[in-house]
Amino acid sequence: MLGGLTGADSVSFAQAMISRPIVAAPLAGLLLGDPISGMWAGAVLEILSLRQLPIGASRGWDTGPAAVAAAAAAVVWTTGPSATLVAVAFGVVVGWAGSWSVHGLRHLNARLVAGDAGALDSPTRLTTLHLSALALDLLRAAGLTGAVLMCVVLLAGVIGETAPAWAGTVAALVVLSVASLGIGVDVRMMARGRRVWRAAGVGAALGLVIGLWLL
Amino acid sequence: MAALGRAQRLSLLLRSLLVQASWNYRTMQGAGLGYALIPALARLYRGDRSALAKSLRRHCGFFNAHPYLSTVAIAALARMESEGADSEQVERFKRAIVSPLGSLGDRLVWARWRPLCSLLAFFIFLLGAPWWIAVGVFLASYNAVHLWLRVWGLRLGWREGREVGRALMGSPLRRLPDRLTIPLAAVSGALVPLLALAIGGTAGVGPLFTIGIALALAVAGYGRPGLAGRVAVLGLLFGSLAFVILGTFVW
Repeated sequence: MLGGLTGADSVSFAQAMISRPIVAAPLAGLLLGDPISGMWAGAVLEILSLRQLPIGASRGWDTGPAAVAAAAAAVVWTTGPSATLVAVAFGVVVGWAGSWSVHGLRHLNARLVAGDAGALDSPTRLTTLHLSALALDLLRAAGLTGAVLMCVVLLAGVIGETAPAWAGTVAALVVLSVASLGIGVDVRMMARGRRVWRAAGVGAALGLVIGLWLL
Repeated sequence: MAALGRAQRLSLLLRSLLVQASWNYRTMQGAGLGYALIPALARLYRGDRSALAKSLRRHCGFFNAHPYLSTVAIAALARMESEGADSEQVERFKRAIVSPLGSLGDRLVWARWRPLCSLLAFFIFLLGAPWWIAVGVFLASYNAVHLWLRVWGLRLGWREGREVGRALMGSPLRRLPDRLTIPLAAVSGALVPLLALAIGGTAGVGPLFTIGIALALAVAGYGRPGLAGRVAVLGLLFGSLAFVILGTFVW
């Protein structure tokens, strides 16, 4: 149900951003008993998906089902220290698959609108057509999330759960590298120039001081 | 011109939440625009079914705008209809308003406000706040502006009618994206060392090493965004695949 709601939120209904990974993943994690793992997976996925702007007919990753999938993978697979890494990657794959299902739905909607020309003259029929499209999107996202969660459960017994200590360090460094690259790309995609460099530099210095103080 | 009643305004606002429900490659938000306008048109053409059908049909053609600012167009079109605008005027207005609404909304919301709220929420989480506070701050701050934009758009569109394009040009909102650039960059910068310290702590690696790596990679991402974006996603996918294979068959 969460997958359906978050899937519809990203385009069809409200865009209140419950579909963003930083919201959907910890919520899914909470439902599965571990919101913190969901939050970490969601935050990294959020950084990677921020640069995808839904402008015009563009379509980025379907972040709602992707976030639910990532949270489920992080909680259920328990792949030790590499859990966040594997979960985010799984979320990316699901988000990509979801974007293709959105593409198919948009073609289906085009056929619905073109096929029932009479609906555009009648308030009642237009309302029915419009709300049917919303229901289809809900079903699409819920179906995708259901299928993905089934994969998570089926693979739970197959994927290994142990790793040597050094593997945890490597996995953490890969996550850090991916997230850091992502933050740099996000800033560049949103803004550029000397002012941006200065502000980012001041922010980094401030973050360093706060971080060392918190240590 | 009969002013829209409170119930009609609320109905237009609520229906604007669904403006993209039947988004498609042919008319984009066209059917959604028609759906959103139904309460206003039904009131205006009460008892004249053929005029209502004709009006509804002309609004269901191609239309696309930023979803939050679609209320500007919805209210302006409702007012134009109430003033007796003909099909040609409506079409010309729709064609003219698509770009300004899209451009303003994309720059302000997608490219600035949403990333700023997301990164701020993550920043709060890294400072040690519970996850639900970070999520709550994101949803509350983001949606305060989101809902304000929808209501503001509805009022502006109804007040200015077909002149709303000119009002948008003079709106202070046009300067807001530039003003949000500095806070966005500052929060992004602050996130990098905090993230490095948090992840480095769990990995058992020295803080200077992880901070150095993180800052260097963030700068690299800024310098070569296309290449860095691909490297990040491919590194993530192949790295995790390697871990899954090794974890399953070797370790």
